[in-house]
Amino acid sequence: MKQAERPVLHRWSRREYERLIDESFLDEDDPIELLDGLLLVKEPQTSPHRTAVLLVAKAVERAFGEGWFVQTQSPIILDDRSEPEPDVCVVRGSPRDYVDAHPTRPALVVEVAQTGVRLARGRKAAAYARARIPDYWIVNLVDRVLEVHREPARPGPARRHWGYAAIETLGAEATITPLAAPAEGIRVAELLP
Amino acid sequence: MRTMASYAARTRRFSRAEYERLIDLDVFQPGEAIELIGGELMVAEPQSAAHYTAIQKAAKALEAAFGPGWEVRTQGPIGLDEDSEPDPDVAVVPGAPEDYSHEHPSRPVLTVEVAESSLAVDRHHKSSLYARAGLPDYWILNLVDRVLEVYGEPAPDPSAPFGWRYARSEVFDASACVTPLAAPGSSLPVSQLLP
Repeated sequence: MKQAERPVLHRWSRREYERLIDESFLDEDDPIELLDGLLLVKEPQTSPHRTAVLLVAKAVERAFGEGWFVQTQSPIILDDRSEPEPDVCVVRGSPRDYVDAHPTRPALVVEVAQTGVRLARGRKAAAYARARIPDYWIVNLVDRVLEVHREPARPGPARRHWGYAAIETLGAEATITPLAAPAEGIRVAELLP
Repeated sequence: MRTMASYAARTRRFSRAEYERLIDLDVFQPGEAIELIGGELMVAEPQSAAHYTAIQKAAKALEAAFGPGWEVRTQGPIGLDEDSEPDPDVAVVPGAPEDYSHEHPSRPVLTVEVAESSLAVDRHHKSSLYARAGLPDYWILNLVDRVLEVYGEPAPDPSAPFGWRYARSEVFDASACVTPLAAPGSSLPVSQLLP
């Protein structure tokens, strides 16, 4: 019989998670997000983190232009047990299109990571890849680079979990073009605090 | 790329009061075996036939050994501490069922886990949790090796998951007899516990 090395955590469904909010176990200000059934405590908001979030939001708003909107640190729905709140994401349409339900398929998701680089590359990348988010960026404040993750790939011989097949690391001097806004390049330096 | 300070993903912890409210509110799917262990919600693996049989046999043998005045509970909740409410496979508590109609018992005199796939967790995590709560007598009925592991004498140990461990441990095979600390006049053949 297979041996469990450590206790197995209960995985919360989105329905259970929403009950937690309805019953006031969690409120909107709690730094918690549901990712793959885990109630993850979010990375603390340092000043560089907050600054990077604002810079990224501004840059992608400009790059995408009309017909898109940018939301920061707000929930999106990926699947039955993931309702993360990415630092920045770009969604088609206008905010009123999502009065009744959170967006589910942003064209671009960006996480700013300082202490949470491993989490951003690991569990988060897996959850976004599984949801087929085509373009996932990590603004890595530790190394001051942008990590661009593309081509969601299912688990197989090359990877144990869902992940991205094409990962590129860009320095401050490089330029990145969002997949869904191919006409507009963004200088990585613009995204770094 | 240089290595960087990273933190293991932390999850939201729950107190026992919150956990009991979650249960009262029917937040969880019925039938899911959840325990609160040090603030974290853990799920139990599905039980094998051998696991279930071992629980029934151990409960019967302990009922006979302890006699009247004691209650033998199977997979019932124990209000262990502020952030733990485990459901040990078997627990012996003083009194009768109605003594616990308003509140779960908190200090079993004997706590038993039947271990098959959970052996490492029962030895490492649960034993540290039970030692921290000061439970005097903890048995692991180890179905992998067909032995009974008996733990006692809780002692601090900063390297243990919950800061405590049992200082004394003994292993009894199927031919041995064992005596619960709280039923010193009894003697149970280990063979009576094994499936």
